[in-house]
Amino acid sequence: MTRTRWLYSLGILLVCATTPLESMARIKLTTLPVRERVEIQLDHPQSALVEEERIVPLVKGVNQVDFSWANTRIDPDSLVLRILPPPADKPLDIKVLSVSYPPGETALVWSIAASDSGAARVRISYLLGGLSKDFHYRATTGRDEKTLDLTQWLRINNNANEAYENARFWVGVGERFEKPLGLSETKELQLARFVSVPVRKTYSCDPMAFGYLDEAQDKLNVPMHYVIKNAGGSLGKQPLPAGKARIFQDDGKGGSAFLGEDRGAFTPPDDELTLYLGLARDISVRRTIDRNERQRIAGNLYRYDVTLKYEIENFKDTPVTLDIAESVRQIRDAIRSGETNGLDPEWQLGGGTLAKPDPAKSDADKLLFHVDLPPRAADGQAQKQVHTLRLTLNNEW
Amino acid sequence: MRNWLGCYLVLLAVLLPLDVLARNIDLATVPSRNTVQLTIYNSEDLTLVRETRVVTFKQGVNPLQFSWANTLIDPTSVELTVRQPKTGVELLDTTYPHDRAQTLYWHVQSDTNREATIEISYFTSGISWRADYLAIADPDEKTLRLDSFVRVDNRSGEDYENAQVRLVVGTINLVEKIAQLAKLPVGRVKEALKNEEYQETRQKAARMMMAPAPPSLARAADAEIAMEAPKEIIKEGLSEYFIYTIDGTETVPNGWAKRLRSFEAADVPLNVQYRYRPREYGEELVRLYLLRNDTASKLGLTPLPDGELRVFRANSQGGLSYLGRQSLKYIPIGDQIELNLGADPAVVFELIKRKVHRDNLWFQVKGGSLYRKLGDEALKLELDSTVVGWDEHTVFRQEIRNYTGKPITVQIRRDYPGDGVFRSQLKPILHDFQTVQFETDVPAGGKAELDYQVTTRQGYNQKQSRIELQTGQVDR
Repeated sequence: MTRTRWLYSLGILLVCATTPLESMARIKLTTLPVRERVEIQLDHPQSALVEEERIVPLVKGVNQVDFSWANTRIDPDSLVLRILPPPADKPLDIKVLSVSYPPGETALVWSIAASDSGAARVRISYLLGGLSKDFHYRATTGRDEKTLDLTQWLRINNNANEAYENARFWVGVGERFEKPLGLSETKELQLARFVSVPVRKTYSCDPMAFGYLDEAQDKLNVPMHYVIKNAGGSLGKQPLPAGKARIFQDDGKGGSAFLGEDRGAFTPPDDELTLYLGLARDISVRRTIDRNERQRIAGNLYRYDVTLKYEIENFKDTPVTLDIAESVRQIRDAIRSGETNGLDPEWQLGGGTLAKPDPAKSDADKLLFHVDLPPRAADGQAQKQVHTLRLTLNNEW
Repeated sequence: MRNWLGCYLVLLAVLLPLDVLARNIDLATVPSRNTVQLTIYNSEDLTLVRETRVVTFKQGVNPLQFSWANTLIDPTSVELTVRQPKTGVELLDTTYPHDRAQTLYWHVQSDTNREATIEISYFTSGISWRADYLAIADPDEKTLRLDSFVRVDNRSGEDYENAQVRLVVGTINLVEKIAQLAKLPVGRVKEALKNEEYQETRQKAARMMMAPAPPSLARAADAEIAMEAPKEIIKEGLSEYFIYTIDGTETVPNGWAKRLRSFEAADVPLNVQYRYRPREYGEELVRLYLLRNDTASKLGLTPLPDGELRVFRANSQGGLSYLGRQSLKYIPIGDQIELNLGADPAVVFELIKRKVHRDNLWFQVKGGSLYRKLGDEALKLELDSTVVGWDEHTVFRQEIRNYTGKPITVQIRRDYPGDGVFRSQLKPILHDFQTVQFETDVPAGGKAELDYQVTTRQGYNQKQSRIELQTGQVDR
């Protein structure tokens, strides 16, 4: 057979011993060992590592093994040739002597010395450009929105200009699996399914992050989220990679209604995956700065006493918990019309109804309060709740 | 096989008179290269080529033509030295002809008809070498295998067959040294002779290791013959440099590159450490493999020249996982090797600012030179006094969660410019006057919560520019 340039070909030149490189003419006789096994590792965030196993016939002496990768984006410096240990009954001493890179070709030639003629099992690893992966999710909540079924999907995009008849994949999460991957193919498969995952539906208001529905009327937006904790059951063993999540709800008639979609962030175990669902229109929150008093301590040093008032109405027929989030820095900047020294605010909570922030979700700047809202009354009237947040800002100048 | 582009040494037919150079019809013989030595520097695009040829001289003046069409040889660097005999053969002059580019003529005076060994040396560009490394950690990340390679690229326009290849590691004053070598023929001859002796010993050793290359048929028939081994690369220190001499000779045709194994070390012990050092690694916690270039770590035979390093980890299936690559800076013998593998998604690293308060407030009265502290009741502060100094106390909690399945060690460095106090029970040390360093172990599946408080003296209160360490509880 005349040596022609094969895509990804691995050619063994049947030339022995002291063949100098110049004698590697354009017409060569080669054998073409096929891939015995391919593993594709997509666990690295940027790079795809392909590892192929081939059985290479070697003659005693020095063999030239030619590897070429026309029209693909192999990183040639990443190529690693490993010779697997020979079977005990046929010991064969094999060593890689050198690698030569011919000019103007996407190819290299390994010089391999063999103590005897025989077959060697080798593994060739390389980083290949054009193979990429992404994740996406499908969540279906029950009627009561207390649990959801979460499926995790993997999509592998092959723009690497190479086909793999059968490859074992590892994407860093889930199980290893074996699939063929054709030229320019995209393969999608379900990686994991988490059934009856507890989900918390949250209603919140956060002037910093979600702003106002109607600022003139002091009405805040009330975004809704599904919060899924990556813990418990089959969750919590691995991080959930970032990806788009489509959210459906069981409609009770064997079908499902599409509720919306959001991009889920990378979620390590024990962290919460938060999916934005849209704005709740049946919960009304009016936020006003009710009191803003300044007391001079000395010179240009002041103390500010601030009261924020929230008038909240729940027009839903179910009780809900509203999360009220605030940034003390934002409050301070608002009451001082931005004329501040830019330092972190120093504050104390006063005797308002909102006096105990959630310690796990509050810090030197962020405050988060949970407020329980009863359903609207039987006559359809929503019961207005008034909450106050009293803050003292010390040492301001 | 000669490359038509290459360097030619032509002995012009001996009986021609000297004015033959003006003629267009020449008769010439072409003495071939006996030995070639390439000394390749990786810090500059520069290679010193030293070749010997055997030439037969007649008694009297012998013209020699040397040409180097289509190569990257520096013409001012070409030099001729007579190696054998020591006396009786003498270079008279060198002529660069006006009508032929990339050619020169030498006139050599010989006192009798004889054979002589001449050495021609010159600089060429276009030949380079670089090191690269392959590290494969074992699955439990206790040890790794480090392979070091050297790759020689020949883009000089000339084929160098069976050349002895020497690679110079090191960057200090290289240009001067090369120039010095070229300008001091005596010293060079001396060195060349030393190399010759050295080459002999090495070849002796090589002969032990490698059988001479018989025809392949004969070789297959002879079962007793020793197997071809990967070439050894002999490493020697020389002044500030390290010289790698590739065992035997190599042929690197023009346009080709060749990669050879420089050394391999298995079971090199390694430590895994996580580090947060924003100045060095940016705003993320990175994972590192730490190893040492010393004999205890099965390394340390040579400094590691600059080069690209790729890190893999063997997985339990016998395959590899790609961890990353980095460019390794020159590692002297005995120094630590740090392989940065980037952020690890299995370790969550979060800094929480928990509380801020200020005290020790000082005022400047009426913009003058009178200062008063807040709380000093003896004096009623004027309305137009302003805060000019204060102490700011900030309480932090550093949270680290470890999902790697193994205990980890985390080292954190944080910079606090200005006059400050770092209070904690973390047993920190000062990395420098404004950088605090502390370490913690986080068990597998566990969590660490490191509390500390930073007090900075601001404005008028700032007296120093350094961070001071204190042991104590942080404010709640």
